[in-house]
Amino acid sequence: MPKPAVSMEKRGTTIRFSRVKNYVRQPHIVISLILLVILLIIVILPFAKMIEDSFVWQFADTRLSRNAEPGGLTLFHWKRVFASALTQNILFRPLMNSVSTSLSVSLLAMFIGSFLALLVSRTDLPFKKIIATMAVLPYVIPSYIHALAWLNLFKNSRIGGAAGVFQYLTGITPPDWLSYGYFPIVVTLSIHYFPFTFLLVSAALTSIDSRLEESGEILGATRFHILRRITFPLVLPALLSSFILTFSRVLGTFGTPYFLGTPVRYYTLATQIYSNIINRIPSVGYILAFVLIIISSAVIYINQRMIGKSKSFVTIAGKGFRVTETPLGKLSYPLLCLIILLFIASVILPLVLLVWQTLTLYPNDYSIKHLTLLFWIGEANTVFAEGEAGILLNPAIIRAAWNSIKLALVASVIAGFLGIFVGYAVVKGRNTKLAYAVEQMSFLPYLVPGIAFGALYLALFSHRIGPLPALYGTFALVALVCIAKNLPFTGRAGITSMLQIGSELEEASETLGARWITRFRKIILPLSIQGAISGFILVFITVMRELSLIILLVTPETRTLTTMTFRYQEQGYTQFSSAISVLIIIIVVFGELISRRFGKKNGI
Amino acid sequence: MKKALSVLCILALVLCITGAGVAETFDEEALYAAAKKEGEVNIYSYSSRVFKFGKTFEAKYPGVKVNGFDMDSPEIVTKVLAEQSAKNYVADVIFLKDPATVVNELYHKKLVYNYVPSDLVSLIPAMYREPLLVHHASVDALVYNDEKMSAFPIKSLWDLTTEAWKGRTILSDPQKMSEFVEVLATIVQHSDEMAADYKRVFGKEIVLSPGVENAGFEWILRLLNNDVIILGSTNSVSEAVGLSDQANPPVGLTAYSRLRDKEKNPNLKFDVITKVEPVMGVATEVVVAMVKGGAHPNAAKLLIHWMMGDAKGGEGYEPYFVLGNFAVRTDVPPPKGSMSLSELKLWKADADYVWNEGQKVLDFWVTHLK
Repeated sequence: MPKPAVSMEKRGTTIRFSRVKNYVRQPHIVISLILLVILLIIVILPFAKMIEDSFVWQFADTRLSRNAEPGGLTLFHWKRVFASALTQNILFRPLMNSVSTSLSVSLLAMFIGSFLALLVSRTDLPFKKIIATMAVLPYVIPSYIHALAWLNLFKNSRIGGAAGVFQYLTGITPPDWLSYGYFPIVVTLSIHYFPFTFLLVSAALTSIDSRLEESGEILGATRFHILRRITFPLVLPALLSSFILTFSRVLGTFGTPYFLGTPVRYYTLATQIYSNIINRIPSVGYILAFVLIIISSAVIYINQRMIGKSKSFVTIAGKGFRVTETPLGKLSYPLLCLIILLFIASVILPLVLLVWQTLTLYPNDYSIKHLTLLFWIGEANTVFAEGEAGILLNPAIIRAAWNSIKLALVASVIAGFLGIFVGYAVVKGRNTKLAYAVEQMSFLPYLVPGIAFGALYLALFSHRIGPLPALYGTFALVALVCIAKNLPFTGRAGITSMLQIGSELEEASETLGARWITRFRKIILPLSIQGAISGFILVFITVMRELSLIILLVTPETRTLTTMTFRYQEQGYTQFSSAISVLIIIIVVFGELISRRFGKKNGI
Repeated sequence: MKKALSVLCILALVLCITGAGVAETFDEEALYAAAKKEGEVNIYSYSSRVFKFGKTFEAKYPGVKVNGFDMDSPEIVTKVLAEQSAKNYVADVIFLKDPATVVNELYHKKLVYNYVPSDLVSLIPAMYREPLLVHHASVDALVYNDEKMSAFPIKSLWDLTTEAWKGRTILSDPQKMSEFVEVLATIVQHSDEMAADYKRVFGKEIVLSPGVENAGFEWILRLLNNDVIILGSTNSVSEAVGLSDQANPPVGLTAYSRLRDKEKNPNLKFDVITKVEPVMGVATEVVVAMVKGGAHPNAAKLLIHWMMGDAKGGEGYEPYFVLGNFAVRTDVPPPKGSMSLSELKLWKADADYVWNEGQKVLDFWVTHLK
């Protein structure tokens, strides 16, 4: 009698097993599960550490409280942030400043970026190829250069030193609100971050079949109506992504707000996070970072509720595809002038300033007779720059340049591919909990300011975790933190482009018996690579310019160009730091050109 | 006679022994030989001048390479903590500011140890040898534009809190630069002297604002309420104050040794205000220490010895033989045009006090930022 029971049981197991097998056979499930494991290590672990540390006394806390017992549990840090004499100035006021600048910057940047994208990908604007290539340059130029350019133009006598060009020419002293604080922060960061929107929206626009818009035209809709009812809803996911990306990014930005805000005591939350971590009170920095995460999450949630993420459209189907250019007619030259003005403000002016700075013998002395190439090709000379050689002859800088390139390549390629997989897993598994988890987890690092994320990686990976050896001091750790921090970029790009690919393409080839690998290689990858390359370029640029994220993690062996600029800047060698910035820009522009060429070769 | 002779003999012997003790053999040859076997040494330095003494060291001791890495002092502490925890020992020597943090975070945890070259023991006062060797002292002081102003514009620290200097005092942000926490904490530590000077200047006892503990804190509060201007780096203070052709230049608090910026930039016209009551500035220390587990201990010791220079200053100490940096060796004369540390009216930052109270002072600062 026991026999059938056994076989019943066996059959039960077999059924269950084959169910599991079927479940697991779906490629997006497998991918999701693998991603989940990766995300657990690079995102969830640091996040858990962040929560843990906020409740635990740290050694340096003995400076703050007589009761501190390092290692013991405490609510001290939370009280310090939310209910102490400091609350007003480390939480409330910086929070107000952060939210108002971030909102303003993301709206302004979104407007500039999408307008430019529309012109470049949908009209017969002259020189649009050049414009498209140039449009990422404002993001390539370090944002402190934009801040510096602003000060050179609009500085007043409040902070001493030389007066700005505006005051020099007009004799009018600019008011404080024009020189420092909210207004200049918003303007400089907007012209720095509009390329985000530009890249994402133009990628979305190029994959929209113009015939969708033309059919509206045939039906007698006005151009504005078409823009509002057809084009706008189609690029909405991209717009939404870029809004979220810009908003969260500006929330966590430290440099420019610090530079332009400090003279009028305009501090942001990112400033407070930075100074708390530098002052060895990371727990408080983490709690403030939580506040940022909550704000960003709320904004994302409201956005998604307002627009409804389900309302997205497949625009790349298995049919013909065409992009038509709308003639601009009379508007074409005024618009071109407007764009040229934008580029003068966002690229030419700061770039000229930057290059000029590298050639000045004395910092801030822009006179022609004091120009020199010393800081580029000078031999080691003890009179200037404490005896350091020009950057092109300085072995430490050359090594740092290789480190930067290696890091940016490794991080952007790996993050780029992970992004495609995230896009695939999220879109194919839509409305499942698994896909939701992958999407949310992969976006989380974006909301944590770089310095806090770097501090967490330092705390976590400087000793062995299970089978994972201590990673501190290795290139792998620096690469890992860059991949994790940039996954949100590439993941978003992946999701955006995957949303536009109709599933019938893959289904058709599946019916024809193509294996998943083939399907992925022949269909998914080529169609999503435009988005992936946009993501790749963004990551490449971001990593080339990354500072606060890696500053605690690099060792002398792994230090990058940016960490060198930072030092020179602090030491007052504007020339060296500017020269290195120019070097970074050159590398990035090359990287961009190469990856665009690569994109073309692959049939885009 | 015999007795006298023997006493003399003993005396001579004692002198000989103590003399030998003073100049106790620092076996440079042996150390160099051992260092050559190690081949190199890694030093984390708060200042880029590490490359200068690194170069002269390499010329003096061929075969031993100096890998100098400059970073901020807090960054050095963070990195050493991480290296010790990962057992990935990179740094052999650290050379940095903020002794309070170094002593409490690294020295007390036995992650770094002290090394005083034996031939220098008698030449350096004990206060600079323990717990960690002090390489030099530096001074943060007020600077003024000596192109526009013929005399010292400030006579007392309290002048900065008056209407005349509203919005015209420049300070580096203590939230970012720990050395200014040392300065502010030291002023609070000497609050009695601050109160006395207030009385001297204004002719009446100071009245503390509600909730303010003492005259030191009151000074900080009044400075903040007098629209003090906060900047991000020490360098920009010297530029803000010293740049030529300003209509109404401010005064600023910065490192005395920033005077050397004038060599880099002839458009800078500024000088240190050396006569201020109750003090013209605060002296802070730069320490040098050996890191536990470092792979090149002998080269490290040889480098520290080199950095400390010789009786004339010496090639190794040369980058620090400048106005505003003060040697700890008693046999080194002050640089030309400089007074010695004892001639300047200063308060010395107290590492214990800074460690225990510095954060409280910074909290006060942050709380009252408006």
